[in-house]
Amino acid sequence: MPLLAAADISKSYGEFRVLDRVSFEVPERGVVGIVGTNGAGKSTLFAAVSGQLSADAGSVTFDGDDISNLPPMRRAQRGLGRTFQVPREFKHLSVRENLLAAAPRDYGETLRSVFIGWARVAKEEARLAETAERWISFLNLKAVMGQLAVNLSGGQKKLLELGRVLMLNPKCILLDEPFAGVNPVLIGEISDKIRELNASQGIAFVIIEHHLEALKALVQHLYVMDQGRVIADGDPVVVLDDPRVHEAYMGGVI
Amino acid sequence: MEAYLVAVAVIALIYMLLAIGLNLQYGYTGLVNFGHVAFYAIGAYASALLSLKGWPLAPAFAVAMLLAGLAAYPIGLLSLRLSDDYLAVVTLGFSETVRLVIQQEEWLTRGVQGLPGIPRLFQFLGVGQYADIATLGVLIACNVVAIGLVTHLVRSPYGRLIQAVRDDETAVQALGKDPARVKVQVFMLGAGLAGLAGAFYAHVITYISPDQFLPLVTFYVWIAIIIGGPGRTSGAVIGSLILLVFLEGSRFARDFVPGVSEVQMASVRLALVGLALILFTIYRPQGIMGRQNL
Repeated sequence: MPLLAAADISKSYGEFRVLDRVSFEVPERGVVGIVGTNGAGKSTLFAAVSGQLSADAGSVTFDGDDISNLPPMRRAQRGLGRTFQVPREFKHLSVRENLLAAAPRDYGETLRSVFIGWARVAKEEARLAETAERWISFLNLKAVMGQLAVNLSGGQKKLLELGRVLMLNPKCILLDEPFAGVNPVLIGEISDKIRELNASQGIAFVIIEHHLEALKALVQHLYVMDQGRVIADGDPVVVLDDPRVHEAYMGGVI
Repeated sequence: MEAYLVAVAVIALIYMLLAIGLNLQYGYTGLVNFGHVAFYAIGAYASALLSLKGWPLAPAFAVAMLLAGLAAYPIGLLSLRLSDDYLAVVTLGFSETVRLVIQQEEWLTRGVQGLPGIPRLFQFLGVGQYADIATLGVLIACNVVAIGLVTHLVRSPYGRLIQAVRDDETAVQALGKDPARVKVQVFMLGAGLAGLAGAFYAHVITYISPDQFLPLVTFYVWIAIIIGGPGRTSGAVIGSLILLVFLEGSRFARDFVPGVSEVQMASVRLALVGLALILFTIYRPQGIMGRQNL
């Protein structure tokens, strides 16, 4: 049984079908890629899977449960995390605070905790700060830890979003274009981090990306989308050689 | 002259309470509340009516805060469904509705005639300056407590969450947290502070009527926050002081500017406030106390 499965997801805006019975599966500890032209529906698919968008039809199952009708908050709480194509960092919080704001808490975020139980808050905070700083070191963000997120570079923001999701202790992370606007050195670095998280923490990944070389090296299974449908899937090397994929994705140029 | 200065300081401190509340809502949580005066009015009328019925002032103040806070609950719920500009319009409409209800429900509020003879704070100290100074002292104490609480709140994990909500609500949800809960709570907290400010106002002025609760009051508080620096409690403090010093100080400017009538001067003052607002938004959007990039 796959960890995450989307089945026959459809979404239309009026006459325009953005998603047309799209299905994909992610096995436990799997790394899966999704490619396709701009407007193929990749980000919309992520929004449907993580709950920001309600699909017209289809279902999403995660970790053995149907999560199709859960709000995004509940999906995240179950361990399904995501990043965004355009990073959504908390601009006026520092890098460290961004991670701490993402941490699941028992007590510290209740209004009550502002008035009573300060010792309990401090204890919880100390524990989470340790976790946050561990992830910050892992992602090489230590040097900018105290800086406001708004001042980070594009690549650093991608890492920051990844760090925030890691605070959720997720089972699966959806990464929306982790390499977009990121320099080649950092692309290699982010790829390594993904591999390491997958190997050591057993976190599954679904990655939308246009950087085909980097993606090919990272994923075990690749889905190709075009005009709201999955037109091919399978081993990344084989799929990218498929003439239909060339036709749709690269306009038959290659 | 001293009595006058005390009176100005009292009004400035009342505005400071309003500004601290609105700054918690807008500056820290991103809630665009254009109806702050509604909760001020509810607090003022609640405390005035109760004290006129013979209640002691302490419980009357407490009920005023509580009622203003509770009145914010439905508005808080609305804020969950409306983004910035829509929320601004709805809250503005709410505050005008509250004012018109006060104006119409004459059996309770005496409508446009207003409520005269509201007991003064520290009336038992006599008419002289002792009562005024005691009022000033209590207002300072209330502001200190409010500043202390808000400062502690925004530095706590709860405060971090409200600032995350301000910066990106979608991301907050995607991280498994509920922006709705904190938005409603912050709306109620800020309104409670406005209610407290309203109660002070009623018992300082001793006469209240619906035309004292026009949207202009809300906008004065907004101006104080924008000048001081949204998202900084110190900004709310400095901003309300500057605003009141200017509004009061410019009363005397007429004495030095010949050929300008009282009425004309009032308009000039308002125009100058508007000009200051425009200049701040262009040249120093983060306000006096604000850090860069906010």
